Amino acid sequence: MLTSWPVVVMQVPEELNAQEVHLFMQEAGPLLQSVRPRLVLDCSQIRSIDSAGVEMLLHCLEEALKRDGDLKLATLSPESEVILELMRVARIFETFETCDEAVRSFQAVPTDAIPEGAPWQPTVFGEMEALKQAS
Amino acid sequence: MAKAIVIVGNDSGPVDLAPSAIQHTVLASVDVLGTSVVRRTVERLLRDGIESIAICCSSSVESEGFDEHPSLTILTAADPWEAAVAELARYEDRLDCVLIMRIGAYVEFDLGDAVRFFGEHSDNVVRGFDDEGPLDLWMIRPEVIDNANLFSRLQLGKSTYYPVRGYINRLRHPRDLRRLVVDSFNSRCRLRPQGSEVRHGIWMCDGAQVEKSARIVSPSFIGRDVTISEQCLVTRYSNIERDSYVDYGTVVEDTTILPNSYVGIGLDLAHSVVDGRSLVNLHHGVMLKIGDPVVMRQNKPLAGVVRSLWSGSGVDGQITAGRNQNAD
Repeated sequence: MLTSWPVVVMQVPEELNAQEVHLFMQEAGPLLQSVRPRLVLDCSQIRSIDSAGVEMLLHCLEEALKRDGDLKLATLSPESEVILELMRVARIFETFETCDEAVRSFQAVPTDAIPEGAPWQPTVFGEMEALKQAS
Repeated sequence: MAKAIVIVGNDSGPVDLAPSAIQHTVLASVDVLGTSVVRRTVERLLRDGIESIAICCSSSVESEGFDEHPSLTILTAADPWEAAVAELARYEDRLDCVLIMRIGAYVEFDLGDAVRFFGEHSDNVVRGFDDEGPLDLWMIRPEVIDNANLFSRLQLGKSTYYPVRGYINRLRHPRDLRRLVVDSFNSRCRLRPQGSEVRHGIWMCDGAQVEKSARIVSPSFIGRDVTISEQCLVTRYSNIERDSYVDYGTVVEDTTILPNSYVGIGLDLAHSVVDGRSLVNLHHGVMLKIGDPVVMRQNKPLAGVVRSLWSGSGVDGQITAGRNQNAD
């Protein structure tokens, strides 16, 4: 299983309006088209967001999920958080206090540490064979 | 005691002004559960036996809503304290005691007890106070006060303190406004919602319109001529004041919507105070100016133009996350 796709951190512009969204998407678009895109958006610079900005965040998330990737938000200001809550999209995004935390969260489950032949059942249930015998 | 002077709209001392997030608004003059604190105070003073009240305001907006009551005089001046001084001069030596209040705070007190206290003390100025310190509530003997320096005399001069034992809310921050609403719903103070209690804990005023599919959960208050659109939810100590409009599917929870505010479609408002385009979120401690009129705005222009002007705006609108750290 491939686990070493890079995590890309992108700075979101100060003004997240229709004009800036266009420029931002020129940069982010190719990244989102890649296999399993893993993006962290650094939102620390955001001073204002309009509905086009919120729509863009949703679009990016959708594109990432479509390709089996993910998009996470980091360093959101309280103001930006209020806007996302108001527009009912705050719950959709995974948010982190720092970019580092967001990047680390992609590696939270080191799948390469799981041996190939390991059973898929959670250990609490024991192995399938043991379950069958018990039943 | 026969006379009182009520001052609205000018802070008289080093009160905690900075956090007032709904800027340029005296919180006591905005509607809370149907009517303003100023109006409630004036009505209570009249009920308690004050024969005439001079209301001194810095703008006519603050005096709005007072019926033409024969016992009320409205005085508007850039500095309402000047108007108060002029009014005091009119009384000359005819009165033993004049009550002066700056609203400000919402204060419940026993007028009879206060006057008795004043009579028992020889000081020319008696000032109300509570555990947090002095209040802007004085009783004075007008003939012995140097009117020219009334403001500084009351603020800084020697006075006897009268302990106010009733409910007090200083209304310095939108958070205090929310606390007043919650305290009223929980009967912790004498302030009661206007209108009628249509179901247990749900108050509605005349002209309020709630669509069938909207849900109102107790305790909540729906003010005069408010519209709650379909699929909305109003819950947990929310109050929506007169002439406001909550559009389709929006959730209002633990929130105050001040008069004449429009709240757009499909929003989630929680732990907030909304005044037209201003939004104070008390949970995050921030104030935002919403630039997109489709999201939030004043419901009706003050001139009273019809609501059909709503549509068509907001193409270039913007939700602006203003950085106002004072809101906390």
